[in-house]
Amino acid sequence: MTTSGLKGVGAVIGVGESDYVADHARVRAGEKPHDSYGYAAIAFSRALKDAGISRDDIDGLIVGPTVAYERVGEILGINPTWGGQQDAMLAVIEACMAIKAGLATTVALVYGNDQRSAAVQYGGPEAMGGNLFLSYVYHAPWGFTSQGALYAMMFRRFSELTGCTERHLGEVAVAQRHAASLNPGALMRKPITLDDYMASPYICAPLHLFDYCLINDGGVALIVCEAEKAKRIAARTPVTIHGVGRYDLNCGATSLEPRLLDFYRPAQEACARQVFDMAGLGPQDMDAVQVYDSFSCHVPFALEGYGYCRSGDVGRFMAEEGISLAGKLPVNTGGGHLSHSYMQGWNHQVEAVRQVRGECGPRQVEGCRFVHYNSDVAGKAVSIIYGA
Amino acid sequence: MANSRAVISCYDEPMWASIRRRKWELQHCDDCSRVRYPPSPTCPHCLSMAATWKPLAGGGRIISWVVYHKQYFDDYPPPYNVVAVQLDEGPLVITNLVGDEPEGSWLDHRVEIVYAPDVRGEPLPRVRLAGR
Ligand SMILES: [Zn+2]
Repeated sequence: MTTSGLKGVGAVIGVGESDYVADHARVRAGEKPHDSYGYAAIAFSRALKDAGISRDDIDGLIVGPTVAYERVGEILGINPTWGGQQDAMLAVIEACMAIKAGLATTVALVYGNDQRSAAVQYGGPEAMGGNLFLSYVYHAPWGFTSQGALYAMMFRRFSELTGCTERHLGEVAVAQRHAASLNPGALMRKPITLDDYMASPYICAPLHLFDYCLINDGGVALIVCEAEKAKRIAARTPVTIHGVGRYDLNCGATSLEPRLLDFYRPAQEACARQVFDMAGLGPQDMDAVQVYDSFSCHVPFALEGYGYCRSGDVGRFMAEEGISLAGKLPVNTGGGHLSHSYMQGWNHQVEAVRQVRGECGPRQVEGCRFVHYNSDVAGKAVSIIYGA
Repeated sequence: MANSRAVISCYDEPMWASIRRRKWELQHCDDCSRVRYPPSPTCPHCLSMAATWKPLAGGGRIISWVVYHKQYFDDYPPPYNVVAVQLDEGPLVITNLVGDEPEGSWLDHRVEIVYAPDVRGEPLPRVRLAGR
């Protein structure tokens, strides 16, 4: 089946982020610079400026899951012809769908999250997300809580079956910290070595502290525009969305069957077929990969699942071929959730756009034409290919 | 912090009642005979709503395991383990390994269900290595 559906329909013409570093310092000092809506507003204004368009050009608004749709529209003064609420990856896809359907031409995607200053809990008695993912809370009577532990359980079995060791996994944290050291917008910029990684404390073994994402405040916005209009109105070269893919594993999710028995592989393989088919491209055409990395082990799962290396070979691939900016396949080139900023996939979209634009300075991937973004949040695999 | 607590929907209540009797029961589909976990209104395989609660035989094998080094609940001071066990009836369950721990890899070790008191003194199904 050829799925040309959303190929080239939309293009990103503007991106914006809040000041992660400065805001994080203020939050750690006990201040509350903004709430989720303030961060969202900052990011939106910057994305508009980046695109060189005015607020009146916006006719679509999709907000992230941590803010209320109506209130964001009210604060930003937007009455759109299409609106909604989605996570980062599905917001991009929905924007393209709305454009393809003729329901909007220029869609603002806006996210803000004050998770650090609001002390959002990702594990324990007040763990968030249980209303959406029962597995996050169902096993609490046995002390099994926090999404990191779910991934630790998954990586342990993967490690036992494939020989991808803790030290192999450490390549992810080391490579992304190196990228972050070259990114002035990143929160964690001091380089680390594999020995530093191995010496770091366990949170939930086999995962170490450095395998866990940051928790910080911030906002991100993107402007997705109909491709022809984008060429007319954008201040700089639009970055085209060449393909999208999605496949969700819901069956057996609470008892963790697709996670522990299949490592979500069937979802990633189906999603890979869709996104690469739609784009008319393959893994060999990708110059960089952005992986949703709430935990480092998302990366090896994705590299095998999307066909960047042979099944069962990812430990060797990461250690020998390399996933850093100096390696064969640069992954999470801005530092990702581990070292840049935990914006729940939103900052990865911005990094993909900036890499294709060639504006990443010392962390720029040379001759970057195509960037593949993918995520596997609780077995919901989503992919987007950005390119020139 | 606070103690851990169970999520109990109306479909979970009969299971927890069986656990209090130290006889963990799950729903067996009356139409396709599959066993499901967690408890639910329909069989995910055939959508039948007819099911019978039956006790587990008590055997299974370890699929994976983790060891917590951070505390999230008052009743779970670290370090403590959590294991994923595939029951002989089919479903995967999450529990804790009590008693002796395997040397080296825990993968595929046979286990059997035991009932250990939780912080409230209520029985909680856990596992120990089979035949120990
Ligand atoms: Zn059935």
